[in-house]
Amino acid sequence: MIAAIRPHAWDLPLFLHVFGAMVLVGAVLAVLLLTVAAWRQPNLRILARSSFWTLLVAAVPAYVVMRGAAQWVYSKEGFSGNNDPTWIGIGFMVADTGLLLLLLTTGVAYWWMRSGKAVAGRIVAGLSCVYLVLLAVAWLAMSGKWS
Amino acid sequence: MFHVTGAFLFIGASVTAAVLNTLALRAELPSETALHLRLIRLTLPLIGIGMFLTLVLGLWLVHTDGYSYGSFWVVAALVLWVVSGALGGLGGRHQEKARELAERLAAAGDASSDELRALLRDPKGNALSWLAGLAALLILIDMIWKPGA
Repeated sequence: MIAAIRPHAWDLPLFLHVFGAMVLVGAVLAVLLLTVAAWRQPNLRILARSSFWTLLVAAVPAYVVMRGAAQWVYSKEGFSGNNDPTWIGIGFMVADTGLLLLLLTTGVAYWWMRSGKAVAGRIVAGLSCVYLVLLAVAWLAMSGKWS
Repeated sequence: MFHVTGAFLFIGASVTAAVLNTLALRAELPSETALHLRLIRLTLPLIGIGMFLTLVLGLWLVHTDGYSYGSFWVVAALVLWVVSGALGGLGGRHQEKARELAERLAAAGDASSDELRALLRDPKGNALSWLAGLAALLILIDMIWKPGA
């Protein structure tokens, strides 16, 4: 029951937006689990490699699909940027802040993979945890239509 | 809002399991395979809570929003929900078998074996998990397009 009353022309962009967001959440959660495992076994290099490739191959493309489709739905719904509902503002804030966070996390994960330094893995854990919380706020705000 | 939260837990955690399963297939050592497959177990409570929330709150929303329980999209969602859960459970058993073997090999020198490679690449076992994911994706499509509503 994602949206009960809306034209069918919005279905495809809405599907891509929601699907991209779900894959993004899943990929970031996978990274969080990998980094938590690395906290206990800091010498396992494979966890750094798995985290980096998950971010690069799953999370970043999912972000692109989610954000691109968000803009598509936004234009179809006829919003102009003036007096937009709060839930849209929260969505854009999380999406745009999230891009920086995602790129930073991917960069630190690359450093972790190359250097093997445990501190880098812990930074990736912290960043992915923060990003997951932001994504949860966004999906709650957007599905609850906070205004 | 909580119905969508359930959907995010269900499909998001399923994606996490799929990512970890793929990483387990690509790992070189049995200990690495076992580690990734062990992490999949942490996603199971999230998938379970998500499936519960989507079902219970979804049925409630059908009632409160005035849809018919006999509508095609509602019946299709229920069938796909059952199919996804059943296939996911069977696929999980296959992964558990692979994990147990990987744990045994890791404890006995950490050298891979043909048996583990065959188990990890078993098309039937992997198909169960991927089809469960496909069923979950079809539920999302069904929820958005609502055919027959």
